[in-house]
Amino acid sequence: MPRWIEKTRSILDFTVASLLRRKGKNFSLLVVYTLVVFLLGSVLFLTQAMKREASLILKNAPEMVVQRLLAGRYEPIPAVYAATIREIRGVMSAGPRLWGYYYDPAAGANYTLLVPREDAPSGEKIVVGRGVSGSRRIFQGDIVSFRGSDGADRNFTVADELSHESELVSSDLILMSEAGFRDLFGFPAGLATDIVVSVRNPKELLTIARKVVERLPDTRPILREEMVRTYDSVFDWRGGIVIVLVLMALLAFVILAWEKASGLSADEKREIGVLKAVGWETADVTAVKACEGIVVSFLSFSAGLLAAYAHVFFFSARLFAPAMKGWSVLYPDFRITPFIDPYQVAVLFFLTVVPYTVATIVPSWRAAIIDPDSVMRS
Amino acid sequence: MTRERPDKKGGARLPRRKSGPALFLLGAGALLLGLMFAHAGLQRRADMPLLESPAGMVGRLELTDLCLFTEARYTRHPSQADLHSAFQDHPVALEHFPAGSMGRTPSGLRRLHAALD
Amino acid sequence: MIRLQNVRKGFNLGKSNEFVAVSDVTMAMEEKRVTVLKGPSGSGKTTLLSLIGCMARPTSGRITLENGLVRNGALAAVGGAADVEVTSLPERFLTEIRRQTFGFIFQQFNLVKGISVLENVMLPSYPTGEKHAVVRGRAMALLEMFGLAERASARVEWLSGGEAQRVAIARALMNDPPVLIADEPTAHLDSKLSREFLEILSRLKDQGKTAIIASHDPLVFEAGDVDRVIAVRDGRIEDEAA
Repeated sequence: MPRWIEKTRSILDFTVASLLRRKGKNFSLLVVYTLVVFLLGSVLFLTQAMKREASLILKNAPEMVVQRLLAGRYEPIPAVYAATIREIRGVMSAGPRLWGYYYDPAAGANYTLLVPREDAPSGEKIVVGRGVSGSRRIFQGDIVSFRGSDGADRNFTVADELSHESELVSSDLILMSEAGFRDLFGFPAGLATDIVVSVRNPKELLTIARKVVERLPDTRPILREEMVRTYDSVFDWRGGIVIVLVLMALLAFVILAWEKASGLSADEKREIGVLKAVGWETADVTAVKACEGIVVSFLSFSAGLLAAYAHVFFFSARLFAPAMKGWSVLYPDFRITPFIDPYQVAVLFFLTVVPYTVATIVPSWRAAIIDPDSVMRS
Repeated sequence: MTRERPDKKGGARLPRRKSGPALFLLGAGALLLGLMFAHAGLQRRADMPLLESPAGMVGRLELTDLCLFTEARYTRHPSQADLHSAFQDHPVALEHFPAGSMGRTPSGLRRLHAALD
Repeated sequence: MIRLQNVRKGFNLGKSNEFVAVSDVTMAMEEKRVTVLKGPSGSGKTTLLSLIGCMARPTSGRITLENGLVRNGALAAVGGAADVEVTSLPERFLTEIRRQTFGFIFQQFNLVKGISVLENVMLPSYPTGEKHAVVRGRAMALLEMFGLAERASARVEWLSGGEAQRVAIARALMNDPPVLIADEPTAHLDSKLSREFLEILSRLKDQGKTAIIASHDPLVFEAGDVDRVIAVRDGRIEDEAA
């Protein structure tokens, strides 16, 4: 074995021996450090995976949705606007979409009622998402009544349930017929919730959106790209806030480590003096400190990251569920696909391992100013 | 001075080399991290067909959002919401903005909300 | 031969608390002999020891290690000469020389707390990069020699004074240095243990070690194995007794 390996290993021997001397202290340090990495890692994993999952799932979302704005809020849009939009060059199709929200006092939940433009259920039939059937205990063949805008109840028959696999987008959905929808909400004929537009050449999307606003100044087009970006920012800031908070904890932790490492106690000074007297170079003493930093921080990093991975991808980030759910009564049951980004793991590595290791090594230059003969003088 | 090896009876009781377990732990950590990436890759491949189902439904029903937060309309359909609608829909629903994360809703207000519906 | 020529060592030079610990010392110490530096505390004998042991540099003067006292790698670095003038060497070579040529026994023993006896003895060999098994074998042989093999895995805090002393000697011998330097080795020992130390010293002398000891304990400088006693006072050599 080359000498430097044997030497490094010997120095590691000494490092571990000296770490074990303050077992309780170093172990609690390890636990706190692991916890910090675990929290940071969980947030990074969760937000990254959700962003990727959102962008993959929403790749088939409408290319453009046009809303009507009235006094700054969005309002039902006249269905005739669709004809105006269709006249714009490059527009392949434009059609009114009907959907809305229904608050169900019985379950205390909000449902999304939607009229599919193709294959809509007929008459009083509805198709419900898993969240709806779970919270209201209604299944295929059951009859459920919703209170309409006029105060009268309307009965609907559950014809089918949406698949479990699609719960992430359909948990709170109730699909119904246009007639049923308009009747329930008293939604005037000739109005729609918004208009869905598809274009021939996706590159022209922005131009077409601009033309829509030109011709219909009271509208607001939303592009598919913006929908995906919405999820990026939702997870970015939700994750961002947590990261800022955890980073503060990390900073405090690094200051603590620095404090611990930089103030050499009389015992440590004497020990360094002894080591130098028996023939250790300053570099060897520094290497002990470096080993200490690397061992502690790498063990914490790997333990914390692995725990974060298990937490997010095996246990669906259960610890964060209360924050994610908020007041939601319906929450989709889904396992997160492990989209992990090596770049992010590297960032996490540099955010956690490097500051700690540096905080332990840098102060050890003090070892250099301890003369070997200090042990003789004491 | 003697330079020969110690006899066996002395060797048996000697303290073990301390870098051994440390190297083992470091190696195990690195290995598990590697396995983590491998697992993520395999799981991702296995999950791709499963993502087709919600992606297909998004196309069929012309959906625009994930059904993640159903508490209010701007959280259910964040991409369709009014700009800054957080302040419009509900008097205490501030959590779309950083300040909302700091305080919780007074419980009285929540009950009021339920009674109004 | 270790030769000192007009060696002077001052501390805090140019400040109000300046003092000279060693002034204008010229002497030579022969190999395979036991030399004792005798003198009251504060006489400068400890400073002399650290100058000889390459732990500190003299303010002026020269120290030369002759006749191949400097070995191996360190020697190659300074040109392979048999005589090495150490005062002008860079710190790195001094460390190497300290490791190869000298074994130190300190007044307080200065064992590293919290680690085992064996690890303490092995410490001087860690930076050499020798094979662990070889180093450990040598350390065990030394402990065996001092009757400490049973205590190899004990922590040093649990040792008695005599045991700690012997561990300190074993550590000093770890890299098989030709020269042993001991600073008040009997200061913390009772007469019985002090005699035990002298016995060990006699054994090491028979093995061909050079020993330089600073002591004001009559038991030490009147011992039969001591070849030379040099009286030091106020940083100067006062007189010499055979």
